[in-house]
Amino acid sequence: MKKSDVLIIGNGISGLFAACIAADRGKKVQILSYGAGTLTIGGGIIDVLGYTDEGRPVTDPVQAMGQVNPTHPYAKVGSDTAKKALNTFLKITNEEGFPYIGSPNKNKWIPTAIGNFKPSCLVPRTMDSDVVFKTSNILVIGFDTMKDFYANMVTKNLKKRLDSDKSIKEFTVTLNFEYGKDLRDISAMDVARWLETEQGHVSFVEQVKPHIKKDTVIILPPVLGLDPNYKVLDSLEKDLSCSLVEVSSLPPAVTGTRLTKMLNSYAKKRGVQVIEKAHVVGAKVVNGKCKSVITEGFDRQREFYADQFILATGGIYGGGIIAKIGALTEPIFNIAIDVPKVQTEWSHKQLFADKKQIFAQYGVSVDENLIPLTAEGKQVASNVKVVGRSLAGYDFCYEKSGNGVALITAYKAAAAFCGEA
Amino acid sequence: MAINKQHAIDPDKCTACTICITACPVTAATRKFRGPKMTGPALTRLRKLVSDDDPMLDYCSNCKTCDLVCPSGVPISTLNMMAKNEYYKTHPRKSKADDMLAHSEKMGKLITALPLGSTFANLGVSIGKAFNMMGAMGITKDAKMPSYASESFISKFKKIKQTSYPRKVVFFSGCYINYNQPEVGVDLVKVYQKNKIEVAIDENFVCCGSPMVSGGYIDDARVNAAKNTAILKAWVDKGYDIVTACTSCGLMLKQEYQELFDFAGMSEYAAHMYDSIEYLAKLNDEGSFNTDFTPINKKYIYHAPCHLKVQAIGRPSMELLPLIPGIKIEEADAGCCGISGSYGFKADKHEIAMKVGSKLFARIKDSGADLGVSECGTCRLQMENGSGVEAIHPLTVLRRAYGL
Repeated sequence: MKKSDVLIIGNGISGLFAACIAADRGKKVQILSYGAGTLTIGGGIIDVLGYTDEGRPVTDPVQAMGQVNPTHPYAKVGSDTAKKALNTFLKITNEEGFPYIGSPNKNKWIPTAIGNFKPSCLVPRTMDSDVVFKTSNILVIGFDTMKDFYANMVTKNLKKRLDSDKSIKEFTVTLNFEYGKDLRDISAMDVARWLETEQGHVSFVEQVKPHIKKDTVIILPPVLGLDPNYKVLDSLEKDLSCSLVEVSSLPPAVTGTRLTKMLNSYAKKRGVQVIEKAHVVGAKVVNGKCKSVITEGFDRQREFYADQFILATGGIYGGGIIAKIGALTEPIFNIAIDVPKVQTEWSHKQLFADKKQIFAQYGVSVDENLIPLTAEGKQVASNVKVVGRSLAGYDFCYEKSGNGVALITAYKAAAAFCGEA
Repeated sequence: MAINKQHAIDPDKCTACTICITACPVTAATRKFRGPKMTGPALTRLRKLVSDDDPMLDYCSNCKTCDLVCPSGVPISTLNMMAKNEYYKTHPRKSKADDMLAHSEKMGKLITALPLGSTFANLGVSIGKAFNMMGAMGITKDAKMPSYASESFISKFKKIKQTSYPRKVVFFSGCYINYNQPEVGVDLVKVYQKNKIEVAIDENFVCCGSPMVSGGYIDDARVNAAKNTAILKAWVDKGYDIVTACTSCGLMLKQEYQELFDFAGMSEYAAHMYDSIEYLAKLNDEGSFNTDFTPINKKYIYHAPCHLKVQAIGRPSMELLPLIPGIKIEEADAGCCGISGSYGFKADKHEIAMKVGSKLFARIKDSGADLGVSECGTCRLQMENGSGVEAIHPLTVLRRAYGL
């Protein structure tokens, strides 16, 4: 069955979401994936637009889309479609039993692994951070021997950021895991597995309970279960009679794993087929239309046909764009990306400059229908649309818009292929 | 643009993104394993500088889930296998069973050559278990071991009368089908004949070497690879396609040989290699697949073996089996079964293997399916062992649907 209505290349958040949208509208959808998609290790939250180009925090991300630069992907999609996309995402999370919270029109401030706050838009209930600002006692919980989360650093930074009348304390839970040279370091995933067990649950509650006062919120690393549901959160909140808030964290982050599982589950229920390890190496474009794409493995090339194609292969990190000295290319349709020949002009001298990075904004240029354009401004193929991180014109890191651009452009592309504007 | 296959063994392509850790079933089951990123690419870089001393490598089951999820195309599991083989050059083996499990063909040959050999061997396995001889050898007493057939597939094959057709394939049966489940090989011939394909076999084929590589006997695997490569290339030169009905044999012959060894002709024959169901799916794409089925009113649950998933061919069984009228079939989609060929038979790995497979077992039980379906022989054994539900090869389902 190498022919589909919509063929999606890439199974990160934009590829999976586009698949869900098209499959919901009755299309036969196939995903060609090479690797699991960087979504798996990401924070699992939907940042839509956190800061303006000038670095001012955004209150209403959908409204602020009206002011973005014309080359920004949001300028091509428009805020009405953006809102539809985000609401559809919320609907999917609801149906899958892992409802996200938040509104497309309001940013939330969520704690990070170092005790700062970052703006985000739609988050799982495990990151419902509003309570942090309302509650008088904050208890930061770390785990002895767990890597990459330092409760004392979080506490210190929170004290700088929050009202001084709050009590902010830390407590380290003893895991009592076997520990030594012959065993693996302990990550958030290991702790999440432990909290899913009866023994882990009981031990956590016993150790933490004495430190809970009236009106306490717990801040902890993302360890509240590996699957897209709220079983661990709900049972702990019940037994401890307080709220728990996970911070956004470093890979391997279980929050991204939960989101991946949820989107895959939704897509598969609707008959989306995923061909794994399918390395797409090229495309056949005839008379301005893409006929097929070609995969290659250790055996032979295979040709996959479709009426419509969505390119969701990601940026340089995900392998969707290939960087060489003085050149940047999209490798499947072989689109040359216009960059300065002198590599030093790709970036500001200061890596952590207080403005967007130049290299971060490089990507495939598209027209207002997300159809890729050559360096000369000609359509590459009229039945191909580019979504997510491959797109040019935005710096997700600076403006906090990564998963938002992915969802919103994916929605626009898939819905347009299904005859919706 | 072609993939430079020789270049595939490059740990520096790893960006340390940790995706493999999130997906590795063994990492999830035990903290005794450092995880694919660490034992694979990270330590491979160090191994270039210092001598290797990493007993944790033994925990990698070579299921290849890490390779499947890696966005950078790093052959993580193969890096692990190469390091494991180096390790055993200078370190003693943990268990006496390693040799036996890695050389399953030797055992199969011996047993099926003796009169009543299989009866005594199967009896031997149960007596061995009863007296805990298996335990002394390092084989778990808790797993259901493969039993031996009274007649090998090659012997059965010779008795089958085939109609000659222009489309011809050579079937690499592999040890499991040849010595343990010859009926699956017969199913293949019957189903292929129904689809106007003539099946040839070659008695000179030897074990593909997959269990040898996983067990740390790469030098033995190299000898077998040299033999098989020459034979496979010769069949392809004669115009035959190659099919396998065991996904581990298939993966070994077409991919792992190219990653591990350097014999002439490997990529040429690999271009003509197919999984047995994939080959039928190709016929379906061409419009020549025979769908003259009688209805099957049963409920099946399909488990995709890890070694099939990593072949980039999708789920050909889930394309073809739903074409049978009346059939109810769903994919388990519950990850690795845990057995990984011979991994789960080892005494010190059995518990890990059962833990890895526990999600799949629960899924099979909850599905209320009459039968499990999977392309891999040891996956089927593990499915039966863990869930109590019988499991069969998709070729067997097709044969029954054809009423053969």
